[in-house]
Amino acid sequence: MKLKILIASLTSCSGCISSVLSSDIFPQFLERIKLSYFPFISDENKIEECDIALIEGCISMDSQIELLKDIRNNAKKVYALGTCAAFGGILSLSEKKKAGAISDVVQIDGIIPGCPPPLKLIGNCLIRLIENKEIKLSEKNLCSSCPLRGNNNIPFEKPVNKLNPSNDELTIFNEKSNCFLDNGILCLGPITREGCDHICIEQGIPCEGCLGPVSKDYTSNLINFLSLINLSKDLTKYKGIFYRFSKPKIGW
Amino acid sequence: MIQKVIDVCTRVEGHGNVKIYIQNDEISNVEFEILAFRGFENILIGKKLSDVPKIVSRICGLCHASQTIVSCKSIEEMYNIKVNQQSVLVRRLLMAGELLKSHSMHYFFQSFPDLLNIFKIYTKPIDIYDLIKYNPQLTSHIYEIIKIGNDIDKLFGGRSIHAITPIPGGVIYRPSRNRIIIVEKYFLRVLSNLEWIIKNFIDLFSKFNPPEDFVIPNVNFLSLSNNKSYDRYDGILTIKKGLAEYQDFRLEEYIDYFDKDPTIRGIDFTDKNHNYLVGPISRNQVVESYGSDEISGYLSLFDEKWRNNILYASFLNLIEMYVESQNSLKILEDPILKSTIPLPNLKSIISREGIGVVEAPRGSLIHHYRINKRNVLKEAKLFIATEINIALINNMISNYARKLYEKKDLNKVKKEIQKIIRAFDPCISCATH
Repeated sequence: MKLKILIASLTSCSGCISSVLSSDIFPQFLERIKLSYFPFISDENKIEECDIALIEGCISMDSQIELLKDIRNNAKKVYALGTCAAFGGILSLSEKKKAGAISDVVQIDGIIPGCPPPLKLIGNCLIRLIENKEIKLSEKNLCSSCPLRGNNNIPFEKPVNKLNPSNDELTIFNEKSNCFLDNGILCLGPITREGCDHICIEQGIPCEGCLGPVSKDYTSNLINFLSLINLSKDLTKYKGIFYRFSKPKIGW
Repeated sequence: MIQKVIDVCTRVEGHGNVKIYIQNDEISNVEFEILAFRGFENILIGKKLSDVPKIVSRICGLCHASQTIVSCKSIEEMYNIKVNQQSVLVRRLLMAGELLKSHSMHYFFQSFPDLLNIFKIYTKPIDIYDLIKYNPQLTSHIYEIIKIGNDIDKLFGGRSIHAITPIPGGVIYRPSRNRIIIVEKYFLRVLSNLEWIIKNFIDLFSKFNPPEDFVIPNVNFLSLSNNKSYDRYDGILTIKKGLAEYQDFRLEEYIDYFDKDPTIRGIDFTDKNHNYLVGPISRNQVVESYGSDEISGYLSLFDEKWRNNILYASFLNLIEMYVESQNSLKILEDPILKSTIPLPNLKSIISREGIGVVEAPRGSLIHHYRINKRNVLKEAKLFIATEINIALINNMISNYARKLYEKKDLNKVKKEIQKIIRAFDPCISCATH
């Protein structure tokens, strides 16, 4: 019997499902499973019993809770696909809207984090899912394998007063590149899970934390980290960092 | 009493409903309703300029490059910075990659099954498994284009979605011979696939007259063009009214034609008598030349009946992918891509507001920002293609629904009007920004 798979979107940009569609493995994945619900490419709009549900997007409206519970009741396993579903995502920046992780209202079996999740990670996860295995994520942070780390430890004492390098400081990764934090630029690598192949860092852009932390709660990790480093007053107050991809859990 | 029937739209990007109003056993009105309003215009308030392009990218996972790039253009206007030619070329390549992925997905998963049904080539409903088996060669050609579009944006944008290399002042870029060779092969491959797909479209559909219910009424076509040539990055905005009357306007004059209150959803148009249309059809109406002989040949196979029909957008999707692949191959030959050019530093702000425009895959995209004394955003207005098209979509589906309901089959109404909606290629993520 082929596994029945459901793919649904809540409040999202569709970037995660379009990443699934454009992954190398998708054609093969489609053949090996039975897609029971995926409104982006299929007319089927009833939620029926399935083996695996992949959910993209955050909860921003009460009406989505019912849909989510319906999916949970019908799916043997539910996974959060992408950072919105896993942690709330970019809508957490809103002061007016709620942005809930799906785990706020239903029990989940795992996450595939990232904004969007890196294609390699999506590919590996899809393969494991069709083989009926659990999704495996690295338990290490981004610094552990960062090409900028060298032999140094994370320089917590340096004053950090910039969000991005200025244009004349920009350097695409080379042997002389230095840790962002050492250069006074905020990088969330220390509290972010590895798994993205440092794509932003290699382009000269610090990590904005889109894969989320290794341990569960996004905001408490961020608060701890920001209090450890020597962050400028201006950046301490800047909400763009604090609520970039998550905010404290809210009631529904 | 007015009865309200709601049905969920399928095979569109994002979550949308159709709301059908029935009064005295007749359909009075139909609305294409999009629900999850996110409020990016509110989110942007208080944000630092260097942070804004990264945030607006998240409006849409399909036209993320356009969102990021138009944001950079708006900010560059505040600094009065002219972006170097190398950055312009890389931005064009990023937009081409994005267009390949967005257009090919729409063509295959959303339009193509409808076209087969509409022209009765395939009379049963087509599910995803019927679709991928229908013509395996088409399926493999499309998959390849989707993947290539993705890879191109990864190679030039750092990431395949939510590119990080476009920044205010230019694009982070290091020349690489290897990358140019790979991408050249990619575009050649896409061209060869597209020649097959375009021929397949012509063989299947060009002999038919497209149905009258999909005819676009008298509208204002809005598009960017560069000296009347096809250009999605640079140029001026033109409104074409009816068949002949053109109106070019400078970007800062947009408020003479449309405006919005960023705290409320929707756009207000000055012209209350005609709907606006943006996207491939409007580009085709406004542009006089795609700059390619092959394209002129393909387009000559379709007459005025097609040109004024929303179903033509599917064919234009293929045409635009072809044009941009040809243009991208020329870009890749440009020696500018081989040199290392430093980006200008963002020093002093000259203007406290900035407006930018590009043509996203689904049409004209305008960002307008104002900043406060601390140089953070105090107001943002985002004019997004699908939001511009909604009034016309509602107009066309209402008319079609009234006509269909003469047979009192509501299920048929629900099913059929979605074909019009899908032909517009609505991007609900964008429209709920």
